[in-house]
Amino acid sequence: MSSQDKLQKAIKVIAQLSIDTASRTFSKLIKAGATIDLERAFIADISEVTRMFSGSEDEVVGAYVDLVGDAPFTFLFFVSAPDSLMLTDLMLRREVGTTKEFDLYAKSAVQEIGNVLASAIVNVFSRDFGIAMKPTPPAVCRDYIGTVFEEYIMKSAGELNELFVMESRFCVVQFDIKCHMFIVPLPGSDEVLQTVLESPNMKEYY
Amino acid sequence: MGRRIMIVDDAPIVRLMLKDILVYNGYEVVAECSNGAEAVQTYKELKPDLVTLDIIMPEKDGIEALSEILDFDGSAKVVMVTAVDQREALMKAIRLGATDYIVKPFESERVVSAIANALQ
Amino acid sequence: MRIIAVGIAEIKVVQPPALLRTNLGSCIAVCIYDPATATGGLLHFMMPRSLQGTAIVKKAKYADTGIQELVEEVKRMSQAKSCSGFVAKIFGGARVLQNISSDIGSNNEEAARRILKEMGIPITASQTGGDRGYKIEFDVGTGIARCQRFGEEAKEY
Repeated sequence: MSSQDKLQKAIKVIAQLSIDTASRTFSKLIKAGATIDLERAFIADISEVTRMFSGSEDEVVGAYVDLVGDAPFTFLFFVSAPDSLMLTDLMLRREVGTTKEFDLYAKSAVQEIGNVLASAIVNVFSRDFGIAMKPTPPAVCRDYIGTVFEEYIMKSAGELNELFVMESRFCVVQFDIKCHMFIVPLPGSDEVLQTVLESPNMKEYY
Repeated sequence: MGRRIMIVDDAPIVRLMLKDILVYNGYEVVAECSNGAEAVQTYKELKPDLVTLDIIMPEKDGIEALSEILDFDGSAKVVMVTAVDQREALMKAIRLGATDYIVKPFESERVVSAIANALQ
Repeated sequence: MRIIAVGIAEIKVVQPPALLRTNLGSCIAVCIYDPATATGGLLHFMMPRSLQGTAIVKKAKYADTGIQELVEEVKRMSQAKSCSGFVAKIFGGARVLQNISSDIGSNNEEAARRILKEMGIPITASQTGGDRGYKIEFDVGTGIARCQRFGEEAKEY
């Protein structure tokens, strides 16, 4: 296996653990079962990956977090605007349908979900791989899905034309709520991730 | 036993979640603050029986606010709240004099027991 | 009517009838149209200027290399010898994330306006700036651009 292949495998393993942890944390936060119904890691051309959502009418609310530290990553969580209202009710232990418009609490709900999930991922980095990280306070944006995703890719890409993208989708089955989560490693994380390859935790995965 | 609580967190939904839990369990929420500076100021005015204090906040973080509150009132009861298992920051908070801590996402039972134990 | 999605750092110049569709935040969409031959294309760029002295792989990423490339492609498709008669419409350049310090949206808009002016291509319509995203649909056959800012009614330009 080339070192690039090993690096990608390392990132995939970290992503898988992060996504598993994030989905359990998410279920705990909303006190409802969430399953992972999509999980993939792929190299994406920035034009191709943004074309996925381009021109859609769908309106979403996104929380953007920078994971800063030894291995910088970017993080995005988004959910449709109507589903964000249901998540607000679940977090507040209220009857789903109580929150009827996108208010201060709905915005704060998405922001807090982003904060808690990003923090759970940071915990995986530090606890399992000894990589010191810290999440920044989330920025929240409610807009077209294409706009929300484009801003994320812009933040993540910089001068790069291709990104290593880890995408996952959670489904809160009881209410048919679908949420998307993305994690992208930034330049500068390669070196630290390479040393993670040598850790005892990693050797069993490749 | 005192029942007057001050909630400090920059996330409105977290303040509401904590308030709902506390009021349901018979506590009185006397103030809500969204940053550390506001927390210190309000503590001095109201002297609540207990403070729940988020660690990561704008303007003044929870550790700094904790230090100033304890400088003002050495017997202040403060329960730290954190999303990240920030061992270093939590150890610092406990050494400074924080009574306990809660990690998000929190369970109602855990919140209530941390508050009740702190107020004994 | 074909509907073609355009992603970030992309140029699409296609034969009509076709609608080019994209979403914008801080990026700018430049629509170029040649009324003489009913030919057009769209560039979705993300940064105002390319790094000098390096080979640019994705010219559509930047205003300077992207607009030039877009105009060349429209000229090729329309078989025009020059871009005289071409018109431009620009959209986007918003600031949707409030805690970002640099206003890349307005830098992108400024770059697009400057470069089109230098090339002698008039901007006949624009909807730019603000704090919300845009959805654009450009009809390459008629040159009509339909622009909808998030939360507002769509307008035709």
